[in-house]
Amino acid sequence: MKKLDKQFEQMMKGIRIDSPSPDFALKVMSRIQAEAAVQKRPILADYQPVISKRTWIILIAAFVLLLIYITVSAKETGTVSGPGFWSTISDSLNQIKINEVSSFWQKGMGVFSSIPPIAFLILTASLALWMLDSFLVRFRHRTSEIHIS
Amino acid sequence: MNKTEDLYYIEAVRKGNVQAFSWLVEKYQKMVYTLALKLLKRPEDAEEMAQDTFIKAYQKLDTYEGKSKFSTWLYSITYNACISELRKRRIEFKSLDDRQISDQDEMKMHDYYRETKKEDQEKYLNMALEKLPEDDQVLVTLYYYENQSMDEISMITGLTVSNIKVKIHRARKKMYGLLHEMLHEEIYSLL
Repeated sequence: MKKLDKQFEQMMKGIRIDSPSPDFALKVMSRIQAEAAVQKRPILADYQPVISKRTWIILIAAFVLLLIYITVSAKETGTVSGPGFWSTISDSLNQIKINEVSSFWQKGMGVFSSIPPIAFLILTASLALWMLDSFLVRFRHRTSEIHIS
Repeated sequence: MNKTEDLYYIEAVRKGNVQAFSWLVEKYQKMVYTLALKLLKRPEDAEEMAQDTFIKAYQKLDTYEGKSKFSTWLYSITYNACISELRKRRIEFKSLDDRQISDQDEMKMHDYYRETKKEDQEKYLNMALEKLPEDDQVLVTLYYYENQSMDEISMITGLTVSNIKVKIHRARKKMYGLLHEMLHEEIYSLL
């Protein structure tokens, strides 16, 4: 059965395949060019996220490691506060005399107090980028009025 | 190899390089036209249908997911467009004549065929192919000439694989039967 199939295949390779008119491709392409000229193309079709998934994983891992390190070192030294971003916020809260809340705040946020402000700035900037990225990716397929020539 | 090349040009078109589509047109125009001609018969109808197929493929290119070969996807557009055109015209496919030959006769026929002159081989083969019902011509061309698998042909035509197997088997036997008749006539005319 397979032999018969193979024989027939050999024969069929000899058939003449039909050809359209010589200017067929030209005609098709001129119709497609006309089509493309009026077709709406998504304005953000080629948009690629600024921070790749891999970079995000590295950033998050680095931040988590930093938190763990600070927590462990804070327990070892027994310090809960120091010059940092969160301690500044804690001081401000103390100044507006919300004592009950501020003691809870101090306990909870003591861990973060040793983190240098620059780390928080990086985190905030990363979060802002992430929000912008997700917004642009979500609207990537929305069409614009831009026409392709 | 072919699939990678196709994907490269498809991606280029998707990124806005419209001219990259001409590569795909050049590559597949003959087969798309051949399939359309086998089903619609009239060259002018086939040419128009082939053009429409490429336009439709261009418009729907974003929906091509790359799960199948581009050719399979393109031929399915061609096939379905031709079938709906035939339905509009209310043209039914010819039914298959039951004259068939045995497996042994097929083997003998192949030997006769090989002894025939090259130009006559092509002539008789095309004549035999044209005598098949339109849909069988498409199946035989896709399977034996274009090397599309049964599964791919199933995607193109919407027929089940078992149905395709039966149809191709019967079509091959029918073609051998027709070749047998033609080659015998040739031998008698020479005598």
